[in-house]
Amino acid sequence: MSNPIWEVIEIRKGKDRDDIFKVMKNVPIFSELNEKEMEELEKIIHRRGYKKGEPIFRMGDPGLGMYIIIKGSVNIAEEKVDGEMTTIAVLEKGAFFGDLALLDEAPRSASAIANEDSDILGFFRPDLLDFLYRKPKMGIKILFGLARTIGERLRRTNLQLSELQEK
Amino acid sequence: MDNYSYQLYSHILRLFWRIFLIILGIVAIIIVFPFVRSVIIMFVISILLTVLLTPIVDFMESRGINRGLAILITMLIIIGAIVFLFSLVIPAIIQAAESLSSKLQSDFIHDLTKKAEVFFAAKFNNPTLARNVITKINEIGTNLLKNMTNFFKSVGSFLASIAIIPFVTFFLVKDIRRFKRAIVAKIPNKYFELSLNIFQKVGNQVSKYIQGQAIDALIVGILSVVGLFIINLVFHNPIPYFVFIGMLAGIANLIPYLGPIVGAVPAIFIVILSNPPNIGLILIWIIITFVLVQAIDNSLVSPMVVSKSVNMHPLTVVIVVIIGGNIAGAVGMLFAVPITGIIKVMITEITWGLKNYKLK
Repeated sequence: MSNPIWEVIEIRKGKDRDDIFKVMKNVPIFSELNEKEMEELEKIIHRRGYKKGEPIFRMGDPGLGMYIIIKGSVNIAEEKVDGEMTTIAVLEKGAFFGDLALLDEAPRSASAIANEDSDILGFFRPDLLDFLYRKPKMGIKILFGLARTIGERLRRTNLQLSELQEK
Repeated sequence: MDNYSYQLYSHILRLFWRIFLIILGIVAIIIVFPFVRSVIIMFVISILLTVLLTPIVDFMESRGINRGLAILITMLIIIGAIVFLFSLVIPAIIQAAESLSSKLQSDFIHDLTKKAEVFFAAKFNNPTLARNVITKINEIGTNLLKNMTNFFKSVGSFLASIAIIPFVTFFLVKDIRRFKRAIVAKIPNKYFELSLNIFQKVGNQVSKYIQGQAIDALIVGILSVVGLFIINLVFHNPIPYFVFIGMLAGIANLIPYLGPIVGAVPAIFIVILSNPPNIGLILIWIIITFVLVQAIDNSLVSPMVVSKSVNMHPLTVVIVVIIGGNIAGAVGMLFAVPITGIIKVMITEITWGLKNYKLK
């Protein structure tokens, strides 16, 4: 016999999960993963809620991993010694940031502050390394996606540099 | 009250509450600990087993085997090996301890007393002293063996009471990542990355340390068994149960500094009691074997397999081993150093984290 209360919860849970999957599938780093691998990823990914003005990480902190916005928006800002913040970018739902920290522990180059109440997914370097060992096929797909993202960014930077030099 | 006095007053009040809560916490732990001691010990053993099994299970998973199945296969092999070893060794040890116990009370001690009396009479002109010394040693030895017999007889019930460990270990190994995520989920956003980073680093170092210790113990055990086996070959089996004694030496090796002595004593004790021909030579070879095993361990095995992240001062080791022994007996002595190592690594990593993360 069906139970309306549980049905509602299940539907909500299912919808929530589909939303997360949809957002994650649009992140180039995870775009090559199939349904089963996405489920595996979902088991280790961290979901957290941040209040408006709450820092996700601070400039200078050791880098640990990347974040994906599933609700709300995030300010990426440079922090001066006196604590003054200069906003570099405002990222919306579906955007990701901090992905270079998947490669090493170098200090964060900017701070990330919740621009409004936001839900954010975190994927961290130890988990990537764990996948590379435990599920190599999946790990390589993520690593390849990361390399492609960084490559794309480098290409754009080169283009901008050339344009600036021409000017 | 001016502003400064008010601030000072509130600061003192806060400090007082903190100290009060810490004392209350310590008292609560002391009161509750005896009731939950066995559960904590079982849980600690399960965690240590999880650390040992996880790399094997991860390896099997990386070869395409389902994680649950990989855990089941690994655990069945290990449980099978332990049951096989115990079914061979335990009855033999009970029998040996009983026979040695009766031997101690009969002809062997009588002969020894006579020899000692002659020796003491010749050297110190005091045969009564010899009789007293031998009687005292005999009493200690008999009690020790009786206790040992009782200990091994109670192993059955002990095993039954720890049957829960495989279940806890199974689920810990299977869902270790989910447990970690669940724990980290409770941490406030401000400390999230810091905690995750520390958690990861402590986990890695502690795993490496425990796995290294286990491999080290296994190698020392195998080397000791081989050494004792060679002595048995040369001197016509003077050391019964040499496999068990060798493996015991391997396990005892987990206790630094004290371990090697603990490992050699049973072999020496058994040889003295069975009093074979060439006893002096056999004892010398036993000592040489254990010294050699230690030399190989210290110069080759240990530097390669045991992590240096938890180096401890010998005095610290002795103190924590004594404390461990007081808390949980032999098990406490075995786990005292790894647990202190875990605490040491945690303190180091937390200090690192607090220095490197902006928390204000």
